[in-house]
Amino acid sequence: MNLSRFFKPKFFQDILKKLLGKNKTLKIGFYGHPNSGKTTLANRMTTDWIGKPIGTVSQVPHETRKVYRQEHVTVKDEGVELNFDIIDTPGIATKIDYTNFLEFGLSESEAKERAKEATKGIIEAIKWLDDVTGVLLVIDATEDPLTQANITIMGNLEARNIPFIIVANKIDLEDAAPEKIDSVFPQHTVVSISALNGDNTKLLYRKMVDKFK
Amino acid sequence: MDTETNGQNGEITGLKMDFLSSSALESSTSMEKVSMIVDRVKKGDLVVIEGGLTPEEEAELIETTMREIDVENFMGIDIYTVEKDKTSFFGLSRKKTVGMTIIGPANVMKEVKKKSNFISMIANMGDSDASLH
Repeated sequence: MNLSRFFKPKFFQDILKKLLGKNKTLKIGFYGHPNSGKTTLANRMTTDWIGKPIGTVSQVPHETRKVYRQEHVTVKDEGVELNFDIIDTPGIATKIDYTNFLEFGLSESEAKERAKEATKGIIEAIKWLDDVTGVLLVIDATEDPLTQANITIMGNLEARNIPFIIVANKIDLEDAAPEKIDSVFPQHTVVSISALNGDNTKLLYRKMVDKFK
Repeated sequence: MDTETNGQNGEITGLKMDFLSSSALESSTSMEKVSMIVDRVKKGDLVVIEGGLTPEEEAELIETTMREIDVENFMGIDIYTVEKDKTSFFGLSRKKTVGMTIIGPANVMKEVKKKSNFISMIANMGDSDASLH
């Protein structure tokens, strides 16, 4: 029996990686409110790195009502690679009023069905908190960031020691105030972007490599 | 909805509010706390708790609420917290903690003005509104 292969440094590195869980696939969850731009960002990222979008984007809230997963995305930054799966989750909210969907031209039965599906989507998104290894918390920079949903998501990530980046999205809009997000969460990494236009996404990729590698 | 009516024309005249001290909940499990809150809020009550819920309890509360949503009658909850300063390290440092948590039906908690240590809301009770500060 050739014992020499057991003494190669790679053998010990592999054991160490397994013990530390480093061999597990990184699963980056996209979390946030409905309509904060999670799927737009996920689409931007998958288009930039693997050449195709992941999901459908709509003006109507709760467009994403189940979890979408894109495996094997690789982000490269100055020679460093980050390999991960994207987990695009439905927006988390504490309430769903089906009448809000009527404003977007849905019929009453379609609106009620959408509301029912949205409740299931929120449960699924919460369940995924047990399984993600990193999170991008996407916040609409035109809205108040101090909401219960955002606070609950952050509290759970901290309690579970899951690294996360706050993404202040929609900075292309006139009433965006990303500095407000910076000021209310000074202890966290905040990156201001426009997922729609791609503004500042390179900075986000760099921060992701730093935070999640 | 668990509110009072004047008996003559069925008009809503009151909103039930439950105030719970932290000691009233300390022997409850997370599941018991969440069930108690959702049961009361689903009936239309406003629940005010001394202190806050843990992040895991908050997630469980949202999850349980989603299971209980009935698109016609119960659209979910609103949660607000009021913070207080907590002094530690022999008075040398201060940090914010949750002093009070207010949870109510989303269709009742109509308007909220909030600062970190102050909250003001109007409860929507059909034709008549009640102010809470």
